[in-house]
Amino acid sequence: MPLFVANTMAQNAVEPMQVDAPPEDNDNNEEENYVVENPSLDLEVYANSYSGLAKLYRLIYIIDHCPSLRLEALKMAISYVMTTYNVNLYQVLHQKLAEVTAALNVPDVAAPSTSQDIPAIDNLWMETRSKKAALKLEKLDNDLKNYKSNSIKESIRRGHDDLGDHYLDCGDLSNALKCYSRARDYCTSGKHVVNMCLNVIKVSVYLQNWSHVLSYVSKAESTPDFCETQAKDSNQIIMTKLKCAAGLAELATKKYKSAAKHFLQANLDHCDFPELLSPNNVAMYGGLCALATFDRHELQKNVIFSSSFKLFLELEPQLRDIIFKFYESKYAQCLKLLDEIKDNLLLDMYIAPHITTLYMQIRNRALIQYFSPYLSADMHKMAEAFNRTVPALEDELMQLILEGQIQARIDSHNKILFAKDVDQRSTTFEKSLLIGKEYQRRTRMLILRAAVLKNKIHVKVSRVLFIKPIEVLN
Amino acid sequence: MASALEQFVNTVRTLSSHGNFRELCEYLSKSTEILVKNTQHLDNVLETLDIQQHSLGILAVLCAKFTAPSTANNAHDNRFTQTQEFILNCNGEHIRFAPDTFAELCHLLTNYLVEQRQPLKGIYLLEKAISKLRLFDSQLTSIHADLCQLCILAKCFKPALKLLDIDITGICQEQSYNPNGPQFDAKYFLLYYYYGGKVYLAVRNLERALYFFEVAITTPAHAVSHIMLEAYKKYILVSLLLHGKVLPVPKYASQVVSRFIKPLSQPYHDLATAFTSNSSSELNAVLVRHTEVFTRDHNMGLVKQVSSVLYKKNIQRLTKTFLTLSLSDVASRVGLSSPTEAESHILQMIETQQIFATINQKDGMVIFRDEPEKFSGPEVLKGLEEQLQLCMDLDKQILSMDEEIQVNPQYVKKSAGFQEEEQPSKSTYAM
Amino acid sequence: MVVNNNIDKLAEDLEKQELEAPSGITTPQVYEQLLAIYLYQNDLCNAKYLWKRIPESVKTSTPELKNIWTVGQCMWKRDFSGIYKALNEVTWSDTVVDIMKQVQESIRNRAVDLISQAYSSITIDTVCAMTGLTPDICIPACVEKGWSFEADTNMIHPVRQVVEPAGQTSSEDQLYKLTDFVSFLEN
Repeated sequence: MPLFVANTMAQNAVEPMQVDAPPEDNDNNEEENYVVENPSLDLEVYANSYSGLAKLYRLIYIIDHCPSLRLEALKMAISYVMTTYNVNLYQVLHQKLAEVTAALNVPDVAAPSTSQDIPAIDNLWMETRSKKAALKLEKLDNDLKNYKSNSIKESIRRGHDDLGDHYLDCGDLSNALKCYSRARDYCTSGKHVVNMCLNVIKVSVYLQNWSHVLSYVSKAESTPDFCETQAKDSNQIIMTKLKCAAGLAELATKKYKSAAKHFLQANLDHCDFPELLSPNNVAMYGGLCALATFDRHELQKNVIFSSSFKLFLELEPQLRDIIFKFYESKYAQCLKLLDEIKDNLLLDMYIAPHITTLYMQIRNRALIQYFSPYLSADMHKMAEAFNRTVPALEDELMQLILEGQIQARIDSHNKILFAKDVDQRSTTFEKSLLIGKEYQRRTRMLILRAAVLKNKIHVKVSRVLFIKPIEVLN
Repeated sequence: MASALEQFVNTVRTLSSHGNFRELCEYLSKSTEILVKNTQHLDNVLETLDIQQHSLGILAVLCAKFTAPSTANNAHDNRFTQTQEFILNCNGEHIRFAPDTFAELCHLLTNYLVEQRQPLKGIYLLEKAISKLRLFDSQLTSIHADLCQLCILAKCFKPALKLLDIDITGICQEQSYNPNGPQFDAKYFLLYYYYGGKVYLAVRNLERALYFFEVAITTPAHAVSHIMLEAYKKYILVSLLLHGKVLPVPKYASQVVSRFIKPLSQPYHDLATAFTSNSSSELNAVLVRHTEVFTRDHNMGLVKQVSSVLYKKNIQRLTKTFLTLSLSDVASRVGLSSPTEAESHILQMIETQQIFATINQKDGMVIFRDEPEKFSGPEVLKGLEEQLQLCMDLDKQILSMDEEIQVNPQYVKKSAGFQEEEQPSKSTYAM
Repeated sequence: MVVNNNIDKLAEDLEKQELEAPSGITTPQVYEQLLAIYLYQNDLCNAKYLWKRIPESVKTSTPELKNIWTVGQCMWKRDFSGIYKALNEVTWSDTVVDIMKQVQESIRNRAVDLISQAYSSITIDTVCAMTGLTPDICIPACVEKGWSFEADTNMIHPVRQVVEPAGQTSSEDQLYKLTDFVSFLEN
């Protein structure tokens, strides 16, 4: 996970990093320890869809969760990291490599070793790379100082951006964020503002600071120039980038429905954002979130008949089939296909933590839809339609009934699900009696409390504190 | 010394015969020391006073007798009989001039009976004492707490229930000579509601018990009282028993509750969390983990009830989802060890009308039924009428209280003054 | 109903006697009758606490108290066969014999009600245990109530009773109340 990387970097960093806002609590930590055995992922193709830290983070996620792809992914990541100035990450990756090779019992690295002992690690490269990075930093810093003394706004802005780019290249996220944010004071046009926002959004995504992402998306969207010239091609690209970033942030904070809405507004022809996600990701994230949260009508209107999203679905034919099977009420096939793509999804760092929830919601939605037209349903047939055993189905239905999502009751003897008719009259009686009782209780308490306050009854610091009531009954 | 007592008797007689009770009370409050010093002669003093005419004098003497340390192991201890006679026969009008002393005598008597391990003997006396002191049935006196304490110790609850079932609407201003104005000791207020809650628990009236504990924990407070802490723990447990979850503490509870009392009750919150997860095994784990705390707090009995109620709650959940279910399925879903055990739980729940079901022993099945048509027929109408009547009465009461405040000179002055001077003034009646 | 009222009144009387006993201890007869009455009223809470507060000395001098409480304990545990056993294996003294007879009757009535409410089919053994009757008395009694008996499976099929609503208020009274409510709601 990027968080892990960020922490390691924080330890190795030369100066302590001041993060502007603390990273949000990720309560999906429990999802992190699992292993994917049989992915059908083409690592090469997958990695080539991304650039920069996105590529590295995604590879690291695979390294941490998929033993069969671990070595290949490590090699790829190391060779890619060598094109950057991110020496810390280089070290981290080598440490991981050492662990992997040690586990594989390769004779020449048998001893648990510190990073120096591993032959593959290129200390010389690290040294020169660090030096180069420092030199470049110094140069950029000097440039910026010069621009500042000359007070040329545009140059200062670019100087900040360049410095930010360099920090990002070194993997120093918080300094990158600082530089990008500082550019804000030197923006002279709407375009500059939007550019600044995009930079901040990118780094914030890496830092998983989702509220930051959302606030900068809305900042960019409300920039005057940008709104006016929306028709232009370049704006379409930016628009799609913003929608994708917002979708990602909503997904990460478990707001699946609004995540789906954001992703559905992306435009395939202008979907070019390899620093964050690929068009395939947009299709998958948007499609699954929509399936889990949209009702039948919404699904038809916004997904199946959406001319723009249709193009995305073509990229992921399996997903397209899933959505169509769902819409055609062929739930067994739909759920089977979902299971088939599950392993690959579990290697995707952004959707993996939500797979269990999303899959459950999709199943539940299917169950509810299946039963909605019936007065009674044979649970054997239903179990068949959902690829489940009858007892497992019974458990699922029970949960849905208890949550009030299905108004029905189960005849466990004959394995039939009966729709429940709610007796409006009785419930009304019950409710009004309950409210009456509640009113009486509260009013009595109110009268008593008036008396208490009138008599100034008050527990003060006094002997009352130490009196323990007698306890004899239990 | 004897002359001092003679003078005491004479003063009591004169002031009583002139009806100068206020003056008499003042005099009596100053003469405690003389009385305590001359304990051995106090019986003689009592003989010279008349129980009806000189009630206040006798009251002072009796209090002195209880306060004096020497008589504790006296074989001729006649304090109980004397107090008994006094409470039964004293002049109610007189003693209401010194409600604090009268209540004090009852507290002393209570302590005495607790020490003697004869709580039952005092119950009907205190009932009598309360009826003499209070001005109306729904007025709270500090003797209420004593009576509850005795009832709990004697394991005899019916007399306490007679009092507890009356909702309190007023409070006796006992400490009428307090420099800060008439007052009522918060200790007795808390004790009454805490003991009251315990009495209701003992007779399985959970709804009332919860109400009483709620009153205890919402009592205005600047400091943490042990009584409030214990009440809070029981509030959690009863809340689970009754509603299956912990009801939120009303907003007007003082900050002390959330700041100090809640953190001090962590094991109880753990229990509640486990309970709401509906898992019997989780609940038992918490129970084992905190056994020591629960036992120390004398709450183990209640905690065990909570754990058995979880089975019932889970059975009730089943009735919402199933029409039929085999007894063995019930047992396995709820976490009971055998179908027989499930049957006996269900049978008990049918009897108490917690669920509506029919057991079929032939197939080992349970059929869960909907509630029968219970909202039809004249008795429903009667029930509705009763409820409506209660609500209306309460509403009238609130209206009359409101009127009372509207015409209260102090209120009028303050609200008028507030407008004129625009100075914030504390309203006594603010919730 | 008459019996009921009498018993309730007797209970009140006995409770008062206990409270006003000068030494805090009343006669064994009072304790015995009160305990038995609580059982008759199915008021197990109060029965339990009464048993707890009876002084040890009285319990030893009056062993019958223990016998009464044994019935209560079985009731507490819902052990039907235990209840009937405890009721019938001792000869009750004149002090409580009448009350104990009624205890047995009320328990049996409640058991029959419960069976009719809770079971659609039940083994004859369970019925016998719950009513404390032998099969040869029990089966005809069931059939008399209209419950069918299946000899080959030994099953009884009870019929659920509909609880009769009782009481009717006069329409004049209701009209009066209704006026009251409406005037309340409109104000």
